[in-house]
Amino acid sequence: MATLTADKVVSAFTTSGSLRIDSDVVAKFKVGDCVVVRIIHAAGHTRLPRYLRGMHGIVRMDHGVFSLPDSMAHGQGERPQHVYSVRFSASELWGVDASKRDSVHVDLWDDYLDPA
Amino acid sequence: MDGIHDLGGMHGFGRVHLETSEPVFHAEWERRMFGLMMAAFATGIFNVDEFRHAIECMAPAEYLTTSYYEHWLHSLEQVMLEKGEIDRAELEAAWSRAAGEAV
Amino acid sequence: MAGENHTDPPSDVTLRVKALETLLIEKGLVEADTLDAIVDLYEHNIGPQNGARVVARAWRDPDYKKRLLSDATAAIAELGFAGSQGEDMVVVENTPEVHNLLVCTLCSCYPWPVLGLPPVWYKAAPYRARAVSEPRAVLAEFGVVIGEDVEVRVWDSTAELRYMVLPERPSGTDNLNEEQLAALVSRDAMIGTALLKAG
Repeated sequence: MATLTADKVVSAFTTSGSLRIDSDVVAKFKVGDCVVVRIIHAAGHTRLPRYLRGMHGIVRMDHGVFSLPDSMAHGQGERPQHVYSVRFSASELWGVDASKRDSVHVDLWDDYLDPA
Repeated sequence: MDGIHDLGGMHGFGRVHLETSEPVFHAEWERRMFGLMMAAFATGIFNVDEFRHAIECMAPAEYLTTSYYEHWLHSLEQVMLEKGEIDRAELEAAWSRAAGEAV
Repeated sequence: MAGENHTDPPSDVTLRVKALETLLIEKGLVEADTLDAIVDLYEHNIGPQNGARVVARAWRDPDYKKRLLSDATAAIAELGFAGSQGEDMVVVENTPEVHNLLVCTLCSCYPWPVLGLPPVWYKAAPYRARAVSEPRAVLAEFGVVIGEDVEVRVWDSTAELRYMVLPERPSGTDNLNEEQLAALVSRDAMIGTALLKAG
């Protein structure tokens, strides 16, 4: 394991490449698909916010393949999979009194989603 | 984890506090903490997910009442201990030394 | 470890940081000069002036704007900005129909190469809790009012994609060059908590 020296600092922090994983793992979803967020209540690390559990949304972007934080945080490997930008309407998330027009877009891994 | 850090949608936190002409770092210790975490991260001893999870495991009251870089301090201590790079005795000895030098 | 009597950490955070720094240097894991160089980079060199140049270029050059909206990482790198916490960028455009707002509800994810380090308010509980559920109320606290016929679109940075808002170009700026345009672009406008004026 190499110690970072001062002369390498600028290049170390200003030239890092994409965090995407070079893998041809198949995407479960495509842009335009309706999805529902899984009810997951694991004690370990996740990037699935509580406010999205069980919510219905639409896939708006496929960002490509990344490692899964839920496994990476616990020494359980990369589990590479697609990450999508999923759009949720404000009224879906916050109820009838919320804006009918506004939305929240969240980046979610394949493992967090089911087809709706 | 369904932890205190998962703040989206919660009520009760009040207004956003805006500071005019906010400096990048508010104190010298924040500078040291930022540099220290980044330099330690560059060793590859821990990954960002492990670092974030250690913050998420802070006691909720402590998480809410400490500042951002104090979260980083908590996490870096924890991950270094968990990875076996330092042990508790060494850390406590370092605390005593730092306190002694400060007098 | 069962039965161990642990000493509490010092309440003085300065001492605690100094102790950890000294220990990690003694272990040969980090070097003091390295810390200084890292702080210098992020305190003095990387900041929202970078993003402002990206915005100004996009306003003046329609082809650049197209590249920015389709492959933000590559377009931003054309101007020499890249790296940590911006390895995979997405730029979202404000239009008369859509106003974008960025947040990281779970921690503090923020596009460092173009905006530098985030302000305290972005990392604190009030913004993180409320930006997703009551964005218009939050925007009002910034003095920003978005019309009812405009969609407020909040982006929660839960993954490693890092977002930046391309603000609308203020009217009355046709005669300005790129440097003058960049000077109009505030950090908050690139997060979505400010609207820009011709100055």
